Amino acid sequence: MQDLLSIIMEPYVFVPLIFPGITVAFLLLLVIIWLERKIAAKVQLRYGPLYVLKPLGGAIQMVADLLRYLFQEPIIPKTVDKLAFIMTPALLFGTAYLPTIAIPVSPTFYAFRSDLSLLIVLALSTLAPIFTVVMGWASNNKFSLIGGIREGYIVVSYEIPMFLSALSMAVLYGSLDLVEIAEAQKGIWGIFLNPVAAITMLVLMYMSTSKFPFEIPEAESEIVAGAYTEYSGILYGLVMGASYVKLYVLSLVFTILFLGGWNPIPGFMANDPLLPGVLLFIKAFIIIVIGAFLRAVYPRFRIDQAMDLGWKTMLPLSIISIFISLVEVMIMGGA
Amino acid sequence: MSLEERELEVLIGPQHPASGHMRLVAKIDGDIVVELRPNIGYVHRSVEKLAEVKKYLQIIPLVERPSLADTTANNLAYVMAVEKLLGIEPPPRAQYLRTLLAEINRIHSHFYGMGIHGVMIGSSTAYMWCFGDREPLIELAQELTGARLTYSYIVPGGVRRDLPQGFEDKVEKVMRYLENRMPDYFDLYFNNPVTRARLEGVGVLTKEDAIKLGVTGPNLRASGVPYDVRKAEPYAAYPELDFDVITEEAGDAFARVMVRVREIQESIKIIRQVLKKIPDGPILNEKYMKMIPPNLRKQVEETGHIKFPGVFANLRVPAGEAVARVEGGRGEVVFHIVSDGKMSPYRMRMVTPSFRNVILFEHLTKGARVADIPAIYGSLDYFPPEADR
Repeated sequence: MQDLLSIIMEPYVFVPLIFPGITVAFLLLLVIIWLERKIAAKVQLRYGPLYVLKPLGGAIQMVADLLRYLFQEPIIPKTVDKLAFIMTPALLFGTAYLPTIAIPVSPTFYAFRSDLSLLIVLALSTLAPIFTVVMGWASNNKFSLIGGIREGYIVVSYEIPMFLSALSMAVLYGSLDLVEIAEAQKGIWGIFLNPVAAITMLVLMYMSTSKFPFEIPEAESEIVAGAYTEYSGILYGLVMGASYVKLYVLSLVFTILFLGGWNPIPGFMANDPLLPGVLLFIKAFIIIVIGAFLRAVYPRFRIDQAMDLGWKTMLPLSIISIFISLVEVMIMGGA
Repeated sequence: MSLEERELEVLIGPQHPASGHMRLVAKIDGDIVVELRPNIGYVHRSVEKLAEVKKYLQIIPLVERPSLADTTANNLAYVMAVEKLLGIEPPPRAQYLRTLLAEINRIHSHFYGMGIHGVMIGSSTAYMWCFGDREPLIELAQELTGARLTYSYIVPGGVRRDLPQGFEDKVEKVMRYLENRMPDYFDLYFNNPVTRARLEGVGVLTKEDAIKLGVTGPNLRASGVPYDVRKAEPYAAYPELDFDVITEEAGDAFARVMVRVREIQESIKIIRQVLKKIPDGPILNEKYMKMIPPNLRKQVEETGHIKFPGVFANLRVPAGEAVARVEGGRGEVVFHIVSDGKMSPYRMRMVTPSFRNVILFEHLTKGARVADIPAIYGSLDYFPPEADR
């Protein structure tokens, strides 16, 4: 037992399996979908999920939903490309959560330390949308196809500005190592040094995970459920969870880049390698909740408007954010 | 590549979350709609033919069913046509009560349309709010008539029930609630930059086209045509009431929504006037009142609930033709009844506003984007069962 625990506590096991890996991602999924529905219900003057565990306001609604997804028959239409149809949900979910391995939990606790961990996270996070496009193609359904193509268009319009604004922080801190970037924010957080980059990245994060007002690839009133139209049962459960997991990963990155990561570490946490991760998680969680709240506020953009936003507003802003970083580096370097 | 190969035919509905009971056959080229043809008739229930075998009073609930959410207009227009044939006039108090219910109905019908439109462009909050704020009005109508949606309140010669006790105060409370609530809608939905981006300049209907296509109701007024049956051919208590015909100039989806919003405010004004001006007196034509047996008549006078006179069971309408028009929530409702003196009409024609507006689907979506289809659909407040009848 002791051996097992010590193996689990090894960073290279703990990070992918517990935090920020699959276990926490999974628990977060159960909480955040419930919370999203509950927040929307609050704004919309209704109860939201209520009857599953009534004393806690239906808090385990998602557990019930998960059980339903598990035992529901996953219908596989005759005309689909079977291999692609069945494989993509698992690959989509897997690639959505894959970037967590490169995210450090604290200054001393990480699966591996790399000079390029920011690049690794960003690069891995670009894998997931490919499977949405494949899904749209494999489903052999016009709505799925349109949804897949929309996802493709959205990807090209958010990816470049999002990476530019993330990398502008790397320019500012002179490092691509997430641990170093977070440690550099012991004093002043990145969001105050480069607010333009922070806003750009926040908006594009919600865009990349199909949060309102960018819920375009799955727009229900237009294309049913986009690329996910033909999915049912646990296959649908996986694809639905994937975008939340992706938001979770990007929120962690956002927290490390702009919100100081685990800083400032309170005294009692300083000697523990793991506890600063709690701070990291709480900050990321707030970012996710803001994303969930947007559902209650905004309708959805049209795809051309979202692309306009990506190319005409966010791209210039992200380039400006790089200049801001460069200027600040020059000033601080000079001083 | 030839043009035909570029086009993709998408069948939106009838099994589609936002199609309603109809199919939209869309030909799209990339994200641009080349052609969109509505395929209607999925909920045809043969109201006109059924009317030929039903008695005159049985037709009242029949004509109400297709236009759920806007039932009073059909009820009123049908009864007005029958009254023209019978040659009777309802007493003034009944006229005011009809107007009162028609305006309550107009408000909740507009909320219904705006709510569906909201969820079509992705704002679930607008949907929930509209449907939630529709509730007090339905409660009011229930208090007045006994039913939530299909009131069958208006009968030949008058109305079924008098005002309940303390109804004025309840109405005033609801009206004040609605007035306080409207700014919230503007803050969160109408002035939301995303809502504006989705609706402004989308599905523009010019004044000329609106007249040429025979569009009716708020959709017509949103294109700058000040036509309203309540003013053009006043009926019920409208001649004695002071209200404006709401128009907008832009003719786009947002203007159509705005016309509805401002009409709600106008209806609130009308309801207040009705309650202030409503005269005392009977609520059923004298001729029918006399036919109620004396002991029941006493009960009617005490409770304000009409007991139908026996003649209503087999109401015979003199031979002839009559047309009646009413401005419903969605537009002009026309009833044309041909009677041959028997217990059922020889022929009944029912022209609903949705049927007249369905032509806009094809007209407005040409060259629009795929995402504009629900934005335009919702802005028309089109209701398939009403069009199919």
